[in-house]
Amino acid sequence: MPAKIDPITLEILWRRLISIVDESDAAVARTAFSSLLRDAHDYTCMFTDSRGRELAQGTLATPGQSGAMALGIRQLVQALPPDSLHDGDVFITNDPWALAGHLNDVCVLSPIFHRGRTVAFTACILHHSDIGGRVASDNREVFEEGLFIPLVRLYEAGRLNEGVLAMIRANVRTPDQVNGDIRSQIAANHVCARQIVRMLDEYGLSDLDALADEIIGRSEQSIRAAIARAPAGVYRADGVIEQVAGQPDVRICCAVTIDGSDITVDLSGSSPQVHWGGNVVYNFTYAYVHMAIKSIFDPEIPNNEGIAAPIRLIAPEGTVVNCRHPAAVAARMQIGHFITEVIYRALAPALPARVLAGSGGTPATMQMFYGRYRDGRPFHTVLIRGGGMGAGAASDGAGSFIFPANGANTPVEILESDAPLLIECRELLTGSGGAGRHRGALGRREVFRVPDDEHAPQSPVSLAIQSGRFRLPAEGLFGGQPGALAQFLVNGQPGNPYGITRLEPGDVVTMDAAGGGGYGDPRERDPESIARDRREGKVKS
Amino acid sequence: MRIGVDVGGTFTDFVLLDDTSGRTHTYKCLTTPRDPAEAIEQGLRALEAQVPGCISALEEVIHGTTLVINAIIERKGARTGLLTTRGFRDVLELGREIRYAAYDAFAEMPVPLVPRERRLEVNERLRADGSVLVPFDEASARAAIASLRDQQVESVAVCLLNSFENPAHELALKRLLAEELPGVPVSISYEVLPQIREYERTSTTVTNAYVKPLTSRYLLQLTDRLGALGFRGRLFIMLSSGGVTSATTAAEFPVRIIESGPTAAVIAGQYYSRLFDCPEMFCFDMGGTTAKSCLIQDGIAGVVPTFEVGRVQRFQKGSGLTIQVPVVDLMEIGAGGGSIARASKLGTLQVGPDSSGAEPGPICYGRGGTGPTVTDADLLLGYLDPEYFLGGTMRLDVAAARRGVEEHVAGPLGVSFMDAVWGIHDLINETMAAAAKTHIAERGGNPRLVTVAAFGGAGPVHAWGLARKLGAPRLVVPPNAGVGSALGFFTAPRAFDLVRSHKVPFATADLARLEGLFRELEAEGERTLRKAGAEGQIRFTRSVEARFIGQGSETSLPVPEGDFAALDPDTLRALFDATYERLYGRTYPESAVEFVNFCVRASLPVQLLQLPKITTRGTVAAARKGERQAWCGTERAFVPHAVWDRYKLPPDAEIPGPGIFEERESTVIVGTGGRARVDEYGFLWVSLPEEHGNAGED
Repeated sequence: MPAKIDPITLEILWRRLISIVDESDAAVARTAFSSLLRDAHDYTCMFTDSRGRELAQGTLATPGQSGAMALGIRQLVQALPPDSLHDGDVFITNDPWALAGHLNDVCVLSPIFHRGRTVAFTACILHHSDIGGRVASDNREVFEEGLFIPLVRLYEAGRLNEGVLAMIRANVRTPDQVNGDIRSQIAANHVCARQIVRMLDEYGLSDLDALADEIIGRSEQSIRAAIARAPAGVYRADGVIEQVAGQPDVRICCAVTIDGSDITVDLSGSSPQVHWGGNVVYNFTYAYVHMAIKSIFDPEIPNNEGIAAPIRLIAPEGTVVNCRHPAAVAARMQIGHFITEVIYRALAPALPARVLAGSGGTPATMQMFYGRYRDGRPFHTVLIRGGGMGAGAASDGAGSFIFPANGANTPVEILESDAPLLIECRELLTGSGGAGRHRGALGRREVFRVPDDEHAPQSPVSLAIQSGRFRLPAEGLFGGQPGALAQFLVNGQPGNPYGITRLEPGDVVTMDAAGGGGYGDPRERDPESIARDRREGKVKS
Repeated sequence: MRIGVDVGGTFTDFVLLDDTSGRTHTYKCLTTPRDPAEAIEQGLRALEAQVPGCISALEEVIHGTTLVINAIIERKGARTGLLTTRGFRDVLELGREIRYAAYDAFAEMPVPLVPRERRLEVNERLRADGSVLVPFDEASARAAIASLRDQQVESVAVCLLNSFENPAHELALKRLLAEELPGVPVSISYEVLPQIREYERTSTTVTNAYVKPLTSRYLLQLTDRLGALGFRGRLFIMLSSGGVTSATTAAEFPVRIIESGPTAAVIAGQYYSRLFDCPEMFCFDMGGTTAKSCLIQDGIAGVVPTFEVGRVQRFQKGSGLTIQVPVVDLMEIGAGGGSIARASKLGTLQVGPDSSGAEPGPICYGRGGTGPTVTDADLLLGYLDPEYFLGGTMRLDVAAARRGVEEHVAGPLGVSFMDAVWGIHDLINETMAAAAKTHIAERGGNPRLVTVAAFGGAGPVHAWGLARKLGAPRLVVPPNAGVGSALGFFTAPRAFDLVRSHKVPFATADLARLEGLFRELEAEGERTLRKAGAEGQIRFTRSVEARFIGQGSETSLPVPEGDFAALDPDTLRALFDATYERLYGRTYPESAVEFVNFCVRASLPVQLLQLPKITTRGTVAAARKGERQAWCGTERAFVPHAVWDRYKLPPDAEIPGPGIFEERESTVIVGTGGRARVDEYGFLWVSLPEEHGNAGED
């Protein structure tokens, strides 16, 4: 391999790396156990060069995990003494401060060996439905939230460390499912390692480092060129995020400085960390800063460490956007997902065509139902969903999605075959999109019933929720109206979305997702769109 | 006599086959998009002129068509209504709610085929096990149907929750619809394909309903026209899954003929791989816009359960409508002769996936194309003869192609002109090879053992480069590579695939009951084939899709022949573990496994086809047209290549590379170290040198 790789060979090898990580991503979907992974795709696969620099990630990566991994995996890898590694080692950790900000995101990390040397690391973070603990947003410390696994070896040179696995199994409610999901992470890393070694052999390469220099360098140049074209200046916005009843709302203060090709996001002045699970670790805050910058400036190029180079984040320690151990962090997305929106709002005057109005899918909503079937078998199922996307300069909100995070719904037929619950409806909420020249997308309603006939589960069924937008809606931009609020009702009465709700057979839960904000003055909406909205029952007539 | 008719986007191709003599006659004319049957009539008349009496002697017309897929892409289907369970009319619009491009805040989604006002709800509900939670309410059904009538729907889809376990309510709706909306076609999900996951099943059923009226209309008209021409035989339609079926079944389940067109090449490949005894063949059909390929193992192409149509972003997975029916395992990538080359914003070379198509086409066509394409590079490398493109009917502009590459690729990238030209050719080969390697590996094949079979206008030009990158030992190019695929029509089995979901653990499964389920599927398959006039012994191939209990995806396992109830559960389990381990590296014998889907393919034996032998008698030397300079990737230089007229090459001719073999529709390149041999059927077999360079450097 020449010292400098020509642009044609580089493209060839780069594509190959992305197809390798997508193949390991597909292996997770095909082998995972919990529907959160196999149906909802709440996981991210990536790999790095020998120094821990991210080279490629799965096309369907979840931005929160992938952004946090780019930082976190490098730090973990650089802390591992190189001569302590063996072919066949598999590490596992869910340290929220090291990676993706809560205990449910479990990472499996493996060194990849080639000709006796470590040439790369492959990592896969899955959002495990179950990590034990008290499943709620109102815990005070991380100790209540479940099992904390520091970086340990699950396999040592190919041999399973039975003690580690037994420790994990003993601390979760559904050990077989958790174990099955860990296996699918191992399968993903196996596929990735096999293909990387095959590629190195095929091209006669001894490692990936020279290739990494080129890939990272060119990606950095590309995003820097895009940033440099934006008008320089300091742009500010504040975000207010509702929190547990009786507590003051959380404020995120944001100043974005564009200076040549550098961009600084300063969150100084944001609220101190809170006494519930909404705290965000630095890496997870960084992930949604990264999401905002990449989606505004350079969405289409492949993600890797180069994208991060021009971005500087200031997030003072002890604030809600850089919390200290042992803060509770389980519900970190309830605050973390807003960071992208605040940056969009700050940059809207400078780059009006590159941002969206507020989205009903910020934050994502997660519902965890757990309990026992009538015959005593445990069940534990997690659903994720978004809300109406915010509108933009060119079009209406695109539909019901999680944004800025990502993930799919669980089919009704799958949920009902996995858990003793019924879904009575899953439908769009008429009139819930914020009006505007472009309309915010509609929120959606989902109604759950706990059966009270011969199919009833044991009492109670526990429900824990992470969500938002119950009091403060997704705002519009440039004269667009806000979307409708979210609702959480138990038997028709507002429930407490922060604690654990104990449901009895016969209970009915209604979850309304918020609508997206509109963009531009509603009076400028074209008559054809107005007529279509009426015909389709998307606005109230 | 039989005739294969392939209606493509631009051309309609005909191959007439005389089964007794093995002789074929071909014809090609422009497709008539408004009424595709018109071109078919035109072609048949032309062939009748060539072979008088052939139409009345025809036993079968076998037909592949892009009618259905075009109607979906162009949104020209029927005004369709959907009836579904109360509370779920938005399932079709919500889809799976995942953003297919995570960092693109502006990604567009496909618009549903049925708008919200024509998606109506009925009071009824089944539980996950198929038992009734809310009984079917006829009054609500009649009200919904009345609304569809007022909205003048032309076709109705029915998809109720959990109906794959119990069709009673869907069947009740079907009866009511027949009463209330006589003459309006109905598609119910249980009959279209009873599989778990409501969005995918609804989308499939709706798509079926959307194209049903136009497909029936078209097939009826075609039958009439054929009759008027004196055709007395039977009409068969190519299925996406690789079989053929009657026009009646195709009209009932048009969603199964979406990939009707490209499937023929795969079926031809299946036939060649059996005829020539190639255990692993990689079929590769490269046209102007895309390359479609498929791995054939032991004479059989894989079939997959789901695919997408009408992608908003053409090659972006997840941006289209999901269709859940069996389809030949084709891999399509945006790599064709028209793929455009440019410097990417990252300062690397980018080729495709966007294409200049047929209009304006590559720069060298001189029809206004300005972006350099793969065909322009092939011309500049000396692979194409500017004076003999499409048999000399079209002159190619070398100077313009040269300027295009200089201006758009070599200059901006700062590389030499020839590095740029070769880079375009080599990168598109690499793109195809990388995708091919993954495709082959995922199916348990070995790229170093495959025989590459090349079809399409650009396929034979790129087959050498692709085969080298794969490390494949040989490649084969049938005569008339453009038409060669149409032979697939004659070798496709009459077949129909059936699937039913039923979840049950291996450990507690009542195998006798499962045998009963298989028999029901087989009886249904037999009825479908018999309705199409099938005679003789029907063959049933069974498979199951199974998974670890709690997993979300299934692993497909072939089921040994014979009574399912007589199988040893341990044998089934061992089969599962072996398959799982091969795919994912480890298996877990201590974890329980369950059945999810039961699949049956009902088929008739393939009718044998006698390939026509070539009658060329001249010497090898007489086939030599001359010599020209063409690029050699390994030497990185122009070297003299002998140029051969494929039509004049006699059987058993053996020719060392480097050489160029020309026929009207395509050109085969054989590089240095290769060796070409012509067989008795006129197929060109090329063996590759053993020490293949590795991709990047050659």
